[in-house]
Amino acid sequence: MIYEEVITLKTSRILICISRLLYPFMLLFGFYIIINGHTSPGGGFQGGAILATAILITYFIDPDRITNLNLLIKIEKVLFILILVIGSISFFTKNVFFTNFISIESSTTYKKIFLIALNFFIGIKVALGLVTVFSTFIKEGRS
Amino acid sequence: MIKKIALVLMLIAILITFSLTIQESKEYLDCFSKDYFVSKTFRETGSKNIVTGIYLDYRLFDSIFEAGILLVVVSGIIFMSKKDEEVL
Repeated sequence: MIYEEVITLKTSRILICISRLLYPFMLLFGFYIIINGHTSPGGGFQGGAILATAILITYFIDPDRITNLNLLIKIEKVLFILILVIGSISFFTKNVFFTNFISIESSTTYKKIFLIALNFFIGIKVALGLVTVFSTFIKEGRS
Repeated sequence: MIKKIALVLMLIAILITFSLTIQESKEYLDCFSKDYFVSKTFRETGSKNIVTGIYLDYRLFDSIFEAGILLVVVSGIIFMSKKDEEVL
């Protein structure tokens, strides 16, 4: 009952309207920073934090939203294993762990594939982690 | 009172040691690694952003374990938030 009063106090119409307006642009900006991490400032960790903020702003729009925490952390584990596998491919091509799996003499356009892939997976993993932490706190506050 | 005096003495000791180490390390400073990364990062890793080139190619194990630490933290927070009946 106290929770409902707090919610009605904190969600004004102007805030909800601005959040709805900003949400797609924040998602776009996060993905832009992740995918252009190798040419401009930014990268996986920073872009992931922006993505997490964009997803968490939906709690302003719909305060009663329920997220499935088990699914989120399952996806995060799979992504972590995927990052480890991509990092370990270089053992078969170069005999060294955790470097670029494309040989060092090839042109820079092919080497970018590795950077973009790793930045993308790290960004999504960081975003899921932050969303999970914040959703856990919100779930604790409700119960 | 004794605790506060001990704290101030500790802080002064830390300040003196830090300033001494900074003065000593000025003699051994060289720009070898900086020159290396500035001149060779784009050719070796294909990234114009040197920071990305370092944390995704030269020091990839560092960022992989950083991602692992985040996973462990999230698992710990979820474990602590559950009630005792749900865990057992």
